Amino acid sequence: MKRRTDEAVRYLGYGKNAADERTRRMVDEAFLKLEQAADPKSICRIFDIGQNSEDGIQIGNLTIISHSLARNLRGCDKAVLFCATLGAEADQLIRRTSITDMSRAVILQACAAAYLEEYCDDRQRTIGEEMAREGRFLRPRFSPGYGDFDIHYQEPIMRMLDCAKQIGLTMTDGYMMTPSKSVTAVIGAGPDRTGCVPGGCESCGKTDCPYRR
Amino acid sequence: MIRERLGKELLFFDGGMGTLLQEKGLAPGELPETWNMTHPEVISEIHRAYIEAGSDIILTNTFGANALKYHDSGYSLEEIIKSAVSHVRNVVQAAGAARPVYTALDVGPTGKLLKPMGDLDFEDAYNAYREVMICGERAGADLIHIETMSDTYELKAAVLAAKENTSLPVFATVIYDERQKLLTGADIPSVIALLEGLRVDALGINCGMGPEQMMPVLEQYMRYASLPVIVKPNAGLPVQRDGHTCYDVLPEDFAAYMERIISAGACVAGGCCGTTPDHIRAMTEKCRGMKILPVTEKDDTVVSSYGSAVFLGNGSKIIGERINPTGKKRFKQALKEHDLEYIMREGITQQDCGAHILDVNTGLPDIDETTMMRDAVGALQSVVNLPLQIDTVDPEAMEAALRIYNGKAMVNSVSGKQESMDKVFPLIRRYGGVVIGLTLDEDGIPSDAEGRVAIAKKIIREAAKYGIRKKDIVIDALAMTISSEPDGAMVTLETLKKLRDEVGVRTVLGVSNISFGLPSRPVINAAFYTMAMMNGLSAGIINPCSADMMRAWYAYHALAGLDENCAGYIAKYSGEAPAAPAAAAGAAKMLSLKECIEKGLKDDAADRTREAVEEQDPLEIINGMLIPALNHVGEGFEKGTLFLPQLLMSAEAAKAAFAVLKDQMEKSGEVREKAGTVLLATVKGDIHDIGKNIVKVLLENYSFNVIDLGKDVPPEEIVKKVVEEDIRLVGLSALMTTTVVSMEETIRQLREKAPGCRVMVGGAVLNQDYADMIGADFYGKDAMQSVRFAQKLFGN
Repeated sequence: MKRRTDEAVRYLGYGKNAADERTRRMVDEAFLKLEQAADPKSICRIFDIGQNSEDGIQIGNLTIISHSLARNLRGCDKAVLFCATLGAEADQLIRRTSITDMSRAVILQACAAAYLEEYCDDRQRTIGEEMAREGRFLRPRFSPGYGDFDIHYQEPIMRMLDCAKQIGLTMTDGYMMTPSKSVTAVIGAGPDRTGCVPGGCESCGKTDCPYRR
Repeated sequence: MIRERLGKELLFFDGGMGTLLQEKGLAPGELPETWNMTHPEVISEIHRAYIEAGSDIILTNTFGANALKYHDSGYSLEEIIKSAVSHVRNVVQAAGAARPVYTALDVGPTGKLLKPMGDLDFEDAYNAYREVMICGERAGADLIHIETMSDTYELKAAVLAAKENTSLPVFATVIYDERQKLLTGADIPSVIALLEGLRVDALGINCGMGPEQMMPVLEQYMRYASLPVIVKPNAGLPVQRDGHTCYDVLPEDFAAYMERIISAGACVAGGCCGTTPDHIRAMTEKCRGMKILPVTEKDDTVVSSYGSAVFLGNGSKIIGERINPTGKKRFKQALKEHDLEYIMREGITQQDCGAHILDVNTGLPDIDETTMMRDAVGALQSVVNLPLQIDTVDPEAMEAALRIYNGKAMVNSVSGKQESMDKVFPLIRRYGGVVIGLTLDEDGIPSDAEGRVAIAKKIIREAAKYGIRKKDIVIDALAMTISSEPDGAMVTLETLKKLRDEVGVRTVLGVSNISFGLPSRPVINAAFYTMAMMNGLSAGIINPCSADMMRAWYAYHALAGLDENCAGYIAKYSGEAPAAPAAAAGAAKMLSLKECIEKGLKDDAADRTREAVEEQDPLEIINGMLIPALNHVGEGFEKGTLFLPQLLMSAEAAKAAFAVLKDQMEKSGEVREKAGTVLLATVKGDIHDIGKNIVKVLLENYSFNVIDLGKDVPPEEIVKKVVEEDIRLVGLSALMTTTVVSMEETIRQLREKAPGCRVMVGGAVLNQDYADMIGADFYGKDAMQSVRFAQKLFGN
């Protein structure tokens, strides 16, 4: 609970500063509202990694060319394609609030992002436990749009998981996910634990990011 | 013909197609419909197996065949649909079954979300489906089955496309999740209300769950639906095994469940994901010959929004009257300025006050009512999940609104005049709806109850000619002001009573008309409202933000035994005891206006401003208190001692203060000079506008006149406005690399057509280099920076 509040505050641009009491109270209220409105859903599917070389990474019938992803998947023989969403009603809540109270809308926006991350972490833990039974360990999830993993890969990933039908996650012509509070990702799995790299902010090359932890 | 058999005897659908194709090698992400061309023998074999298993209706392999999914598959949509239909028809012919076997054109979701949630326009969705429906009928399908829909808006587009472009029977089934809701939030009664309003032939449930989980959903269908119900479960809930999705309910168990489902009222039974010809055979062998339950007409008067349904009849419902320009200067101004935000705020406020339905009236002599009505309905249904009441006398505006309305609307109104009925009833027949019938006709308003009841009966009779049932008509008994008609109230109340007891129809009133011309109107209104509810008023058109009216409403429901344990009344009023002012509020009272703004205290800021205008000139307050406070906060934000939420809380507080001053200045005729006009837009393809909205709030506080074109705005539209209004500064927002492309294009076109115009840009993926690369004049890394740039540009 504390962690997601801290994350939301960080997304609000506080950096390493502590939030004032009123903002923290509004953050807590926003999480309560989101719990009413959000309906988190996810879907995943495990594929073999055919090859992982300069020419591309083969996941099922999909070939991905990306150095950052290749590095992330080094030593993995399986890839979990993963999509998650907080659902359409979370978007509606944010849209509605932005008409009546912009500060609350901005806080909701940040809380929704933190909520989604927490949900994804939770789902990933479950997937990790299942994979551990087969003696595999997960890498941090890696999403299209980060590093040189092109955002356009979002489309085949969503199609391979049949996201629209399964969890109501779709995409606009401009590759924006709708509902907006959604994630698509590749999670590598391999036999060695040592290959694990730190996840999230710390592994990102964008060191001047204002939201960096 | 299947229409004659439907609801009279049990019919069987086939089972899964996609899951069988996957077993035969269809890769994840591959479009299954291409197999009609590449593997026709596999498709035909599956159809044949289902016919042999006893299916009466075979679905074509066209679930995802629509122009939005098939733009680069190498085959034309028409080819795919034609071959898919012919596969079924050929197999039916070859099988020579003794029973008739029907070919159903299978139609699934587009895979896109409609506006406002996504970027697909309602009419574009309609057109995509239209093409599919026309191809399907031409290719020889016997019926259309729209299935696995998880959004009511898309469902409406598909059903309309089928009904308006073909003469085939239309079946529609949707997919519920474990909350018994569609993925976009609709509950079961609202889906049924929408589909029955659109006059499908049968409706029901498919996919998402196994037969066991569908039982409670089916029970609700039996409670609310007046049409034959279709049930097509999966073979259980999906289980992930070795990276594959498996369904574990065995054929015999499936058949046993389906026997229960048919006993509970399903008229058409089949299977969805994971079901095979073996499942269908087990079902038809066990259930063929079962008698189905009769399909019964339900008497509910229901209107719905995209999310929920409102039933008229149990107690009295509140229809919020405030979205209406009559007698409201500020509202008229909003209409003239196309200020949708104002209208949305009115809707949200009324919902928060307790309205169940919102009346929407946008009629004003010098505006285009059709466009305004359509835009207002679109805007309201993006932020409010209450059913709307389309209130207009213009049939064109009425149709435009009904068409894009996401649900089954209330319609205000038709009268007993033949001309009115000739115009309005065809629209209700086409789009569904509950229509208000005014008890007046060519001879005016009858002065007695008998006369008004006679008109109500005439309206009900005429509606029946269009197949519109009494339950979809709500009669307005008409409240006439007692200041000119002393017995007006009594006649209206008697009319209500007769309508309830003798005609058995639901009723409505515009309650506040009763006190027109009298002082202290709320006193009369509230008393009359209570009397009207006592006489059977199903819904009152009132101001839900009036404390008097709401007291009357809560009190009546508690007194009439309609509020169990008085729970609603207690929840509303138990906290109303005059509480001692909290310590914090006491402290806030001591704060100055400047402090209220700096601390972001909205209500206090408005109060302090009201006090200040007693003694000071509004402009003095602005320049002496508001602007310094805003500057103080802005500087804190820039220095990193204050953060975005605080900046915005202050902005909202200042906005509240400005609103008070604006009223004051309008009275005195004083004008606050605008600092300059800024046009804001989120670029084409981009549907996230929160950043742009933040900039807007701040610019407005710094007295800039902001023209907000919204989100997903094409370059041409921006350029046109800039040229028309001779705008000097444009602010563009884009969130993603994929949409910065449209930002660049917008700048290019602006340079060409409006070289004098400056462009500032902002958004998550932008930075100074990127902004330079696309030719922007200024990159604002946060909202304050755009204010500073605007101030510099306009020299203030």
